[in-house]
Amino acid sequence: MQTSDDALRIENLSHWYGDFRVLNQINLRITPGQIVALVGPSGCGKSTLLKAILGTHPANEGRILVDGNQVRTPSRNVGIVYQHYSLFDFLTAEANVAFGLKLDESSLAFRMLMIPQWLKMRAKHIERARAFLDSVKLGAACGKYPAELSGGMRQRVAIAQALILKPKLVLLDEPFGALDEATRESLQMMLLGFYQENLKAKQEGRTPEYTILIVTHELNEAIYVANRVVGLSRFHDAGEQGAMIVYDRPCPIFLPDEPKDVESFVQQREELRKAVFDPSYVKHHSKYVSFWEQLSELAASS
Amino acid sequence: MIHRPIPGWLYYLLGIAGVMVVACVYAALSTRQTHINPDQSVMPGFSALGEGVVEIFKSRGNERNPRPSWISNDASATYWRLALGLASGVALSVVVGVSMGAYTAAEAFFNPLITFFAKIPPTAMLAVYMVVFGMALKMYVAMVAFGVFFTMAQAIYQSVRKDVSTDLIDKAYTLGASEIEVLYEVVWRQVLPRVIENLRLQIGPAMVFLIAAEWAFADQGFGYTLRQQSKLLNMNVVYLYLAILGLTGLGFDWALMRLRRWLCPWFGE
Repeated sequence: MQTSDDALRIENLSHWYGDFRVLNQINLRITPGQIVALVGPSGCGKSTLLKAILGTHPANEGRILVDGNQVRTPSRNVGIVYQHYSLFDFLTAEANVAFGLKLDESSLAFRMLMIPQWLKMRAKHIERARAFLDSVKLGAACGKYPAELSGGMRQRVAIAQALILKPKLVLLDEPFGALDEATRESLQMMLLGFYQENLKAKQEGRTPEYTILIVTHELNEAIYVANRVVGLSRFHDAGEQGAMIVYDRPCPIFLPDEPKDVESFVQQREELRKAVFDPSYVKHHSKYVSFWEQLSELAASS
Repeated sequence: MIHRPIPGWLYYLLGIAGVMVVACVYAALSTRQTHINPDQSVMPGFSALGEGVVEIFKSRGNERNPRPSWISNDASATYWRLALGLASGVALSVVVGVSMGAYTAAEAFFNPLITFFAKIPPTAMLAVYMVVFGMALKMYVAMVAFGVFFTMAQAIYQSVRKDVSTDLIDKAYTLGASEIEVLYEVVWRQVLPRVIENLRLQIGPAMVFLIAAEWAFADQGFGYTLRQQSKLLNMNVVYLYLAILGLTGLGFDWALMRLRRWLCPWFGE
């Protein structure tokens, strides 16, 4: 099943703090264009896993490959959006989005010594950033500083900032946790829009641009915005060894302009709750891990 | 009412009223003192202060050997020492403060030293600076530079720790920043308004340190003239010099505030 074009591949990843084993033998593949939701009870190791993928806290055992390259430190291959925005206060919305382009396409020496060339390049970066902000409906806020934006607007800017560089994988760490319901829904629509663009790219034979791993506490949100849900939990028959992936299944795909039909995924939500969040439900960790099999069956039947 | 705003015109009117009250109280005390002793110079009247203005701006020397006025001589010496001292102190404190905030090894190395030296009053170190740097320009520059360095380095270090989150640094790396770019494009730009604000706070102490040093050792500069004229009880000159020092501080403060607003419009008020 393993191919070299995986956006993310985690192999036998384990991590422990002192005697406490947090993660145990995590294996996960994400291919380009997938939007994957990662759910799990509090303290199950989601943040540890995310930090390992980001490269800020390498795991004790196993390895992580992004686009075939082993992750050792944070790099431009993996973008990150935090719950609390983490925008650069001193940059306007457009400059925040253009910040990655600036760092990626020029060096500090170039910016300091070749000022006329740099200014030309800068104008192009700002143009691209404005176009991207327009696409996420933030065109009017281009010249505003983060302190002048609402929480939802800041999060849109943060997502645009991470995505404009087209990293191989974008991590969203509870990105909508601090937002009100209406704003949260509009940002969920934005993610559905990215998935739609991925589908379009596949149909046209291009590599999809947006590969996203989103960590969320909200099960409805996980099933709604993602095309695959992964559950990390200690509630399995070898739970004392640490959290493992106990759930990995596809979920229904929605389009941004479709009404949010919560009833259509009630069954999966209950299955997820039981498999990942119920400490009394003891099962083999692989019982609900069937994403690739289901995908193969689907491909065979179609 | 606590924290309730007042109209803008009233705000400025009260500011002018404050100045007027002090001027009136001074005029009344000066008149009373002159009434008691017509030759007094402790509280000179406004006409005596006018004579003081002429005195400090008057060219010295003669036609064959002209010498600059007191104010021109003192201002050039004091402002040059102040500018060099502040520039050195700020540059040093930015390098050390940012290093301490960014690197734990630098924090471990500098923190005990800076915490210790920050507790010693800079004016008490005057003799040390004299021994180490001699009696010339370098001593005054060192006095101002080290006078502001320890406090500013601590403030910048705290600012790097508090205002620049690890998440922000990690994000910069994910956007392709190198370590030097993180330091310059993220850390420095985030703490720049704090540096300027701290410099504003340090202008007053820096002038205290410099005037004290000039008072003790200089043969030109505001501190020197203040000492000479105080001995002669020429308070009309002394008060004018004090007013010039006050205006210098205000001018620096205003210029730094404008600089901060221009460089860091995001910082707010």
